[in-house]
Amino acid sequence: MHPIVARRERLLLYLGVWVAFGALLALVLAFNRDASLRWSLLFALPLSVLLGAQALWCWYLVRVLPPGAASLPRFIGTWLGVGLVSLAIWVAAGLGWRSALGSFGAPGGPAAAALTPILLFAGSIGLLVSVLGHYMVAAFEVSRDAERHALELRVLAREAELRFLRGQLDPHFLFNGLNSVAALIGSDAAAARRMCFLMSDFFRKSLGLAAQQSILLSEELALAETYLAIEQVRFGERLRPRFEVSESTGALLVPALVLQPLVENAVHHGVAHLLEGGEVKVSARRHAGLLELAVENPCDPERPASRGTGLGLANVRARIEVLFGNRARLDVVSEREHFRVLIVLPATGASGG
Amino acid sequence: MRILIVDDEALARAFLAEQLADIAGMEVVGQASNGFEAVKRAEELAPDLMLLDIQMPKLSGFEVLELLGPARPGVIFVTAHDEYAIRAFEVHAVDYLLKPVDPARLRAALERAATRLSSHATGLSPPELSRLARPPGHALERVVIRDGSRVHVLPVEQIDFIEAQDDYVEFASSGKRLRKQQTLAEIESQLHPTRFVRIHRSFILNIERLVRIEPYAKDSWLIILKDGGRLPMSRTGYARLRELIG
Repeated sequence: MHPIVARRERLLLYLGVWVAFGALLALVLAFNRDASLRWSLLFALPLSVLLGAQALWCWYLVRVLPPGAASLPRFIGTWLGVGLVSLAIWVAAGLGWRSALGSFGAPGGPAAAALTPILLFAGSIGLLVSVLGHYMVAAFEVSRDAERHALELRVLAREAELRFLRGQLDPHFLFNGLNSVAALIGSDAAAARRMCFLMSDFFRKSLGLAAQQSILLSEELALAETYLAIEQVRFGERLRPRFEVSESTGALLVPALVLQPLVENAVHHGVAHLLEGGEVKVSARRHAGLLELAVENPCDPERPASRGTGLGLANVRARIEVLFGNRARLDVVSEREHFRVLIVLPATGASGG
Repeated sequence: MRILIVDDEALARAFLAEQLADIAGMEVVGQASNGFEAVKRAEELAPDLMLLDIQMPKLSGFEVLELLGPARPGVIFVTAHDEYAIRAFEVHAVDYLLKPVDPARLRAALERAATRLSSHATGLSPPELSRLARPPGHALERVVIRDGSRVHVLPVEQIDFIEAQDDYVEFASSGKRLRKQQTLAEIESQLHPTRFVRIHRSFILNIERLVRIEPYAKDSWLIILKDGGRLPMSRTGYARLRELIG
């Protein structure tokens, strides 16, 4: 929909501008061409509104030809062609209107030869201003869209942070962990002690990491290892963690807790629903200036389609979009019995290189 | 009391068994590590009571109860943290324990369960309980159906339509029919309100399966399904459908 026609107040404003243009043209005619003021107004106002209606077409050409989209000759050529045709139509309409006024009892206008140059001049100015005006409106809309998009991203990032802060105290994780400790005390005190250390380690690390924007990949992986070790106490043989990390990646920087939600999903939405459990594989490799992180797990082929992958995935996606824009991406491959999330980030080292 | 322990975590089962061993009169007759096994064990062993975990692979604790039918043993739910389930248990006086399970609370819950067993107290039906235990806005995800010794787990998106028969309902899914002892109204209350619609006294339709509507007689229509099947639609059904798809 045309942005001017779409809203009543804009249309009225637009009409007002062209009426003013018409009044100006009438004054020019009355003083320079010795026409009566009444005749001038009668002639110029409808004609001016017609030019306004013609100029509305600019919008569609602005959309097809945004600045920089076409080569300069094509850009100028197209506008010049369209402009000249519109101008010719308008001048012809003007001359026609002049003789129509003459035959309907409002004579007193200037001769056609005297009228033509002034119409050509006024029409060119009117069309030129319309084209520029339409480009300004388009630029304004683009920048407003960009602003809204940026705001949305900021809101998402904020939500991700909040969600993450809550996630740290995931009550399920905490109470199940404590249940494991309580169970182990009776049968295997040393294992119970180990579990206490693992849990304090996990909570301490994630509290520390939460405050940071980016951390070393080695730290992120260590947290995931601790998390999986705790869940392994609960799930036993059913949870089999595997890490495939190429050595050159440990010193690269990643957004804090970019992997953690994915690892949690792999356990809770994947392995936990399988009678025999399965392998949660975390891999990291460096490839052509990019860091590729992947988390994969088997999953229940009969899982309900409505069962989401949690907010975790959406939040990770939003965070990397805020941080890297289109230089990073997150792909999800959800097959019948297998789930895989791949994150590709620019490979940046701690020294900024 | 003869007790069956159901939990997918070996450690959690061992912990409960250890505590029950210290309480006089309690005998652990069996353990099960998932829902299917729980149904099988409960029928073989006929325990007096089940200590039942809620979140398990394949079948939830609620689905286990549903499949066991009215002759099921008494139950105490055990969970680490299920906000909405716990609220439902509180409101409807359903026995539950929180992990880590405190021995004193376990004893108290067992005593309560013993008196309930002797008085044959009946509570909510398992599907009703499971509906109340879901977070708001979460509809039923799958239907569990008993077919002799087999158990069918039917994800709701695979249902074409549901038809009420005398005292049971039939789920139609890609040409097959699965029968379940339940009322159409009960199923209707659990399904997602904008994906399923009651088009007739005897039919619930999965909206995804609708191809077109044909007038049939005054105040009645025919629904044409993707697989070519036809279902009758009443005037009320038509109004409901119009409201959903505009």
